[in-house]
Amino acid sequence: MSVKNGINGWAGSVLRVNLTTGAITTEDTLPKYKPYIGGMGLGYKVIWDEVPLDTDPLGPDAKVVFAVGPLTASGVPCSGRMNVSCLSCWSKGDSIVDAHMGGHIAHAFKYAGYDALIVEGQSDKPVYIKIDDEKVTIEDASEVWGKGTFETNATLTKANGDEFDVASIGQAGENLVPMSCMVTSFGNSGGGGVGAVLGSKKVKALVVRGTGAVKIARPLEVKLLSNYMIKDLVGGNNNHNVPTVPQTWAEYSATTKNRWQGAPGVTWDKAPNGPIDMGEQPSGVINVAALRCNKGVFDFGEIAEKYTVKQGGCSSCPVRCYTEYDMDPLADYDLPTHVSNTCIPITGQTGIYCEGTHDFVDEGDAKVILGGAGSRAQDDFGVWCNYGNLKTDFIRAYKDGILKEHMTEEEWNAVPWDLMKDGDPRWAVEFYRLIAEGKGAWGVIGKGSYYMYKEWGLDDATKNSAGKNYYDEVSGQNTNVTYNGYPKHHSSEDAWQSGLLYNVLYNRDCMIHHCTNFVRSGSPYEEVIKPVLESFFGEGCVDAPKAYTPINENKIKLAKWAFNGKQWHDSATLCNWMYPMTLSTSKKRGYKGDLDLDAKYMSAVVGEDYTRDSIDFDCERISNMLRAMTAISFKLRLDSSNLRKDHDAVPAWVFDKEPDFKAFEEGTVKMDRDDWEKSLDMFYEAMGWDKETGIPTRETLEKFDLGDMADKLAELGLIS
Amino acid sequence: MSDQKRFLDKDYTRRQFLKLSGKSLVGVAMSSAMLSTLGVTAGALAEDQVRVWAFPQGLLVVNADRCVGCQRCEINCTLTNDGCCSSYISRVKVTRNLYSSRNGNGLYTENNWTYFPDTCRQCEDPACGNACPMGAIVAGEDGIRRVDQDKCVGCGACVEACPWHMPTVNPVTNKSSKCVMCGACVEGCPSGALSIVPWDKITAAAQEV
Repeated sequence: MSVKNGINGWAGSVLRVNLTTGAITTEDTLPKYKPYIGGMGLGYKVIWDEVPLDTDPLGPDAKVVFAVGPLTASGVPCSGRMNVSCLSCWSKGDSIVDAHMGGHIAHAFKYAGYDALIVEGQSDKPVYIKIDDEKVTIEDASEVWGKGTFETNATLTKANGDEFDVASIGQAGENLVPMSCMVTSFGNSGGGGVGAVLGSKKVKALVVRGTGAVKIARPLEVKLLSNYMIKDLVGGNNNHNVPTVPQTWAEYSATTKNRWQGAPGVTWDKAPNGPIDMGEQPSGVINVAALRCNKGVFDFGEIAEKYTVKQGGCSSCPVRCYTEYDMDPLADYDLPTHVSNTCIPITGQTGIYCEGTHDFVDEGDAKVILGGAGSRAQDDFGVWCNYGNLKTDFIRAYKDGILKEHMTEEEWNAVPWDLMKDGDPRWAVEFYRLIAEGKGAWGVIGKGSYYMYKEWGLDDATKNSAGKNYYDEVSGQNTNVTYNGYPKHHSSEDAWQSGLLYNVLYNRDCMIHHCTNFVRSGSPYEEVIKPVLESFFGEGCVDAPKAYTPINENKIKLAKWAFNGKQWHDSATLCNWMYPMTLSTSKKRGYKGDLDLDAKYMSAVVGEDYTRDSIDFDCERISNMLRAMTAISFKLRLDSSNLRKDHDAVPAWVFDKEPDFKAFEEGTVKMDRDDWEKSLDMFYEAMGWDKETGIPTRETLEKFDLGDMADKLAELGLIS
Repeated sequence: MSDQKRFLDKDYTRRQFLKLSGKSLVGVAMSSAMLSTLGVTAGALAEDQVRVWAFPQGLLVVNADRCVGCQRCEINCTLTNDGCCSSYISRVKVTRNLYSSRNGNGLYTENNWTYFPDTCRQCEDPACGNACPMGAIVAGEDGIRRVDQDKCVGCGACVEACPWHMPTVNPVTNKSSKCVMCGACVEGCPSGALSIVPWDKITAAAQEV
């Protein structure tokens, strides 16, 4: 119980469970890990110190680090995130990668007294790790091995007690399918292949109860700062700061459809005791904050209201982005009617019906009903969609005839294609079952884009019957942002060169929402977005929609802020969908947010003086750890000495799409190749990375006390 | 003062609700103005989904349908009263209902979307106080019962005696605590699942027949 040890913010202990020996130990967090904050930073430090970067990601020497940070469960809004770090088993270079899990388990874990859990070794039989405050045990999981995540979570909560939360892997993880995740609460998941890594260790689940507390240096100040954030700063999901539908108190309504969909007449139709009208949600009022976001209406339109019971989400978050549905048409197919998810895992599901869909009860309801069935099936089998690439890879391979080529006639005929062709929601169950079983051609899709393209020659137009390069093809389906196996995640289409820069730096989709949040906020560009952003980052840091300009120093500043800021969120931990508070709902603030808020939180929680600069410095350390570890992985596994060429390269479609336009003409978001190369030059320089290779220099690494990483890079001949 | 006038008196309305405090409202006839003021429907009353508790500041209304499970009530309770952040020792309790509650509700049950905060009933005849062997749970001048931290020995008799197990012995301090009607949970509830309707509004609604 953290409050016992007198430490503010951090729980104070790192837990280690060795599945090979059964040893369970703890160590103090702060002496070793304080410079790395927590979450992602802590996880990277553990992997760097303990896991050689050429380790088999699914072997006994690999480790998984679950970590929270000093702000997790501190009372700060949107601090219910848990970061999971491990070596990738699916992207180019198999380097360091993170999963980011919401729900409620991060709070339970912190209350149990831990900042991190290091899982190492391998069990020879299925187990789950049970954390009941200081009592930690490795328990037999044979009863739930082979079961879906929903049944597993229900069974393990029942077996251990009502106050235990659970996160579990599904059959995909058990079968070592790289496109796998773990699932907690209801549809909250951590992806990145972590399901397979845990499956390789025979770990089915994490079961947690925490009866302790997080000690806070200045608790009333934390409460007041939280109230200020909820009253004056935060809008809807992604901090979209003006309502879509005009409200009587609001100066503006959204210029484009945004994620503040709550409004008078927008209802939770299936609330048990009659529809709940979301009403108006004025800035300055706490008790309506959770009524701003109606993610269902954003995802599907007003048809979603019909099936909405309420809105859910993560611990401590006043903005609920998981609509909770009761979709009774699914009962006709003997499928569960309760579904909940958000964004791509629920909106992208109609895509797996390659021959089209049909509506069920009302016009236009196919997307919501099939979305619900698909998201539930995907979560149940513990399949990770790689931000949609899993589905688009399937669709492209199906339509191009590639999938059929790689199946025997017997395999092809065994697939219940009729369900797909009929638009039957049970197709989703069959589709994800096939992915989760990991056999034959389905197993190849389940390896993820990088290994799938490689195995089927889809990374070279001369090596497949479709004559396509799946990375470069200009097609609505292709969103690969590098040649490394993952798609864009709010990239140049939202945030010009800045967005593309931070999209290419990770070993998975970047998950950075810093820029899309203000770009798609719905605020008017000239009156709000441009002046507020330029007050932070200087003239020309932002472009108007589809009116891009060549790269400049202030766009580089913006990109660096977002890149380092993402590390902050995953280390603190805070939700990157919500933070930073760049904009505000408040007219009297001129809609300007508060980028110093995070430092104010830290000072109040920890009781030491933090500033935006001091936090940025710590986060830039983590950015350099990511970069150095990626360089080392690429050298060890691929004999690459150049991240600029081999990691950060951008596929042709980004530059060649919309052929009727030239880059920087009004009406297009396409990029220009020369301008992109210049952008990389400028960004590397701003980060202190070598311009030729994109690898951090010794001077940069030593500035962040990462001399040991510089030594390793030098030993491998990557830096001088 | 006539009986009619007294019924509409602010303090008298509060006493009416004190009698209903924590009890089922099934069968209670309420005017549409009163339902509107409480933010509930007649259906919700009939289905026993709404409970009210008489607080000094007004009437505490718990509306299960509006609860979004964010746990901010517990967070604000413990930040305000304990100087830390916790679920377990919170005087308002939603986490224990989130996963799999004793009533078969919660995210990991078939009633996935049924979860809501339990609040102290502020019982007129308090089982917690009656059970305390140290006489540590007593009402102050404001009528609010508090746990006297000097007298409490952390035996847990109050936790066991309370039919809803609302008091909690803090495992760190080994002292019990219970709701002190500070209103922090309500102030910070972002969905209006917890709300305090001020007595003057209740009185006004009572006048609208």
